[in-house]
Amino acid sequence: MDVISNLGLGFAVALTIQNIAYCFIGVLLGTIIGVLPGIGPVTTVAMLLPISFTLQPESALILLAGIYYGAQYGGSTTAILVNIPGEASSVVTTIDGHQMARQGRAGPALGIAALGSFFAGCAATLLIALAAPPLATIALQFGPAEYFSLMVCGLIAAVVLARGSLLKAIAMVVLGLLLGLVGTDVNSGARRFNFGMTGLADGIEFVALSMAIYGIAEIVYNLEKQQTASIVAGAVGRVWPSVSDLKRCAGSILRGTALGAILGVLPGGGALLASFAAYTLEKKVATPPRQFGYGDIRGVAAPESANNAGAQTSFIPMLTLGIPGNPTMAMLIGALMIHGIAPGPRVMTDRPGLFWGLIASMWLGNLMLVVLNLPMIGVWVRLLRVPYRLLYPAIIAFCCVGAYTINNKPFDLFVMGFFAIFGYVALKLDCEPAPLILGFVLGPMMEENLRRALLISRGDPMVFLQEPISLAFLVAAAALLIVIAAPAVRLKRAEVLNE
Amino acid sequence: MRIRALKDFWSGVMFCGFAAVAIFSARGYALGTAGKMGPGYFPLLLAVLLAALGATLIARSVVLTGEPVSRFHVLPLAVIAAAVCLFGVLIEPLGLVVSLAALTLMSAWAGAQFRLAEALALAAALIVFSVGVFVYALGLPLNIWPTV
Repeated sequence: MDVISNLGLGFAVALTIQNIAYCFIGVLLGTIIGVLPGIGPVTTVAMLLPISFTLQPESALILLAGIYYGAQYGGSTTAILVNIPGEASSVVTTIDGHQMARQGRAGPALGIAALGSFFAGCAATLLIALAAPPLATIALQFGPAEYFSLMVCGLIAAVVLARGSLLKAIAMVVLGLLLGLVGTDVNSGARRFNFGMTGLADGIEFVALSMAIYGIAEIVYNLEKQQTASIVAGAVGRVWPSVSDLKRCAGSILRGTALGAILGVLPGGGALLASFAAYTLEKKVATPPRQFGYGDIRGVAAPESANNAGAQTSFIPMLTLGIPGNPTMAMLIGALMIHGIAPGPRVMTDRPGLFWGLIASMWLGNLMLVVLNLPMIGVWVRLLRVPYRLLYPAIIAFCCVGAYTINNKPFDLFVMGFFAIFGYVALKLDCEPAPLILGFVLGPMMEENLRRALLISRGDPMVFLQEPISLAFLVAAAALLIVIAAPAVRLKRAEVLNE
Repeated sequence: MRIRALKDFWSGVMFCGFAAVAIFSARGYALGTAGKMGPGYFPLLLAVLLAALGATLIARSVVLTGEPVSRFHVLPLAVIAAAVCLFGVLIEPLGLVVSLAALTLMSAWAGAQFRLAEALALAAALIVFSVGVFVYALGLPLNIWPTV
């Protein structure tokens, strides 16, 4: 069996003492930032990128990946105990999770969230191991036309699945693509959009841009809201759910995992969408009596399983196609490039240790997370008592040190200041930043593939419609747009995403 | 005619503004042809698309209704953005200790619940942590003290 020998190689990489330690640091940090509202995985991964310079690429990726899926575990703790989502992906967990906590059932709620996440994490990791190799084999045959159309399709899908106005999301994608083109054009050497500033010769620093939007702008936005956090006092109690709880939740965990795994692969998907969709589905199909909204344990089990499954499977497009589905994955692509590894289908064949080592580390990381989250829950509850007024200056400080050390370039701080203002305005106007970040990463790649495809076809744009795979991607993109513009679907989408 | 969807309207204005800057500064870039694209081809394509999207948002905002834009809290935003830029100005000549102190105090002051003693303690803790972790443990090339 190929998969088994590959996984053997993976575990050989993941089980070195050094990598076990980095995996542990990753999931520990992930849990911490997951518990803390107001700081998410994108900012954290960005802050750690300069540190990951000094590591082996395998260790760096294991560490950074741990932060992302670790955050899914931590987010539920805050959601259940404080009624504030620690992460955006645990918004729906607040509904039933916090009700359970008020009824004195905080322990089982936390327990089922961790166990559901663990099951989902293991299942989704297995799916990556099985699905990624064939996908990469197909992707190896892609030419520039296929890649261009794939990116169009991916960006459209990301927009459709984003919350809020479709038109604004598309505009944010286009703006992101434009921002991605700032700097020296690789083909002609022409300097574009540098406004006479030498600091922009290499383009806008991705880390500075994303920390500005996800770190600084978010902080300013949060400062406006008076948060009245009330932690459910008293003992959390026994965290292991009873046998009857487990029986009740088994179906929800399975459904959540399956739905999350599918939605995670889609561009724009990942943990956030998965949790919303799973909760909506659960409300429809769970066996009565349904007490959703009043502390139904299945309302915790399904979305928590789904967000972890989605977080794991969103690595699939990143690892096999080199295309990020969400901003955290874009950040991991940045980490690969820092180490001189071109993301794409070749990673698996050229650096099998990196690929399979990462997958093996996810299993390990999920196991560590259950241990971290269940017996040590008291530690995280105490962490929640750190007031935001002490937390946010620290986040800003680490963002600034991180942005500077990426290139040792003071100019990057000015970039960060500028985009912090932009990010704040965008948040105020309900313009979602995720499509902009994806566009930014894909901008140069899209231009390159468009240029190559049209060079081969001598300027004939029909090439995108003549290649069957390329055509399929474009048809899919068009279908998505048409479907989403239809009024009935539009209402449904608003309902699912806003519930 | 009344603008009813204010968030859409101002988003449209913002996108059109970015598009205008892009079109204006791309005017000198060679376009080339579709088969042999110059550096100006793809950017111009995107900028025109962005302008069209922005214009649609503006046009739509008189038809659709929407929420009003909530109040902009300019002071915290300006102070924090300035603190970030100031960090960039100070880090090379004055080193990590001074620039972190300035950054932390300014950011803490921007919040509503500023307490001087607490902010000073926080700054001290962050400086000790950053010097210890970033400079000594990780060996990142950062000046600790002023070099001039």
